Amino acid sequence: MEIVIDERPGATVVALKGRLDFEAAAAAQSQLQALLVRPEGVHALVIDGSELSYVSSAGLRVFLTLAKDAKAASTPLVVAALHPSAAEVFEISGFAQAKILDIRDTVDAGIAAVTA
Amino acid sequence: MNMSLTPDVPGISLVEELCLLAIEDDGSVASTAGEPAFGMGVVGACLVELCLRGRLDADVQPAEGEGGPRTMLLVLASEPTGEPALDEVLTQVAAGPQQAVVEWTRALFPHAGILVKLALDRLQARGIIESREARFLWVLKSRKYPVIEGRELQEAKLRISAVLLGDAIPTPSDSVLIGLASISGLLRGFLSGSELRRLEERILEVGSLDLVARGVERAIEEEVAFRARAMMVPHM
Repeated sequence: MEIVIDERPGATVVALKGRLDFEAAAAAQSQLQALLVRPEGVHALVIDGSELSYVSSAGLRVFLTLAKDAKAASTPLVVAALHPSAAEVFEISGFAQAKILDIRDTVDAGIAAVTA
Repeated sequence: MNMSLTPDVPGISLVEELCLLAIEDDGSVASTAGEPAFGMGVVGACLVELCLRGRLDADVQPAEGEGGPRTMLLVLASEPTGEPALDEVLTQVAAGPQQAVVEWTRALFPHAGILVKLALDRLQARGIIESREARFLWVLKSRKYPVIEGRELQEAKLRISAVLLGDAIPTPSDSVLIGLASISGLLRGFLSGSELRRLEERILEVGSLDLVARGVERAIEEEVAFRARAMMVPHM
């Protein structure tokens, strides 16, 4: 899986591209956690899921752990533009209905939500 | 800042925590532990723990025919974990056909009694519980499992309560523990009826945020519905 970081005014957009399975989960979690603790800080995180074509159970744990860590760091977090496959996984697992993650349709809507 | 570490492997496993929650203050086993929900919950706890330990994973595969999408269990590695209950489940899953979590839950449910025994044996070997023979009405033998110090059980209850009564986000493991304990009726052991009613929405919000746990819950719901229909049929 590829992780692409794009610094925008007021938010860091992190695009997760490809498969978030058990093999990719540990590295993805480390990189995302590193963003939360980097010296320059992070105002807000927007996860761009438009090219996240596969999420397994292990991948979902990355999102839950990220939500927990972002809340502990008082960093606004939004998941945006989920690929249909990922959106289906979020729906089946209860993530879509739980208020734990702020899920938006587009990256721009996600950025607007965290910079408002 | 308290950062979560991965992998999310607690000191004691999910199945051990679920069994601990089923032990009442006097060491007897909660009556709800006799229900299919608890047995299937024990199976589910083993499956999720195996996912946390990198032996299994799960994903959603497209619908076949008229059925909806299915959550399929995947074997990543078959090396034993060293925990008998987990390894019993892993051996069966690794040797069996690839099938959905719902199907594996049903298939492994007949082994739930063995899994509970293996988990209790391990808790006893670790000095967390004792095993004592007790007598009911001075005649009928039963077994009790008094908790020795109670630290692990208290910690589990405190973590669950902290999530349910506050706004903390659970760890993946605690989310599953909350969901499976709720559907198994075990939260009644330390939360009052009125608290549980008040927390119903919160339990749904934070419990079983996991593909495998959701599949197990679906299996439990289908089993409960099947048994309810079976009871009604003779009267119709």
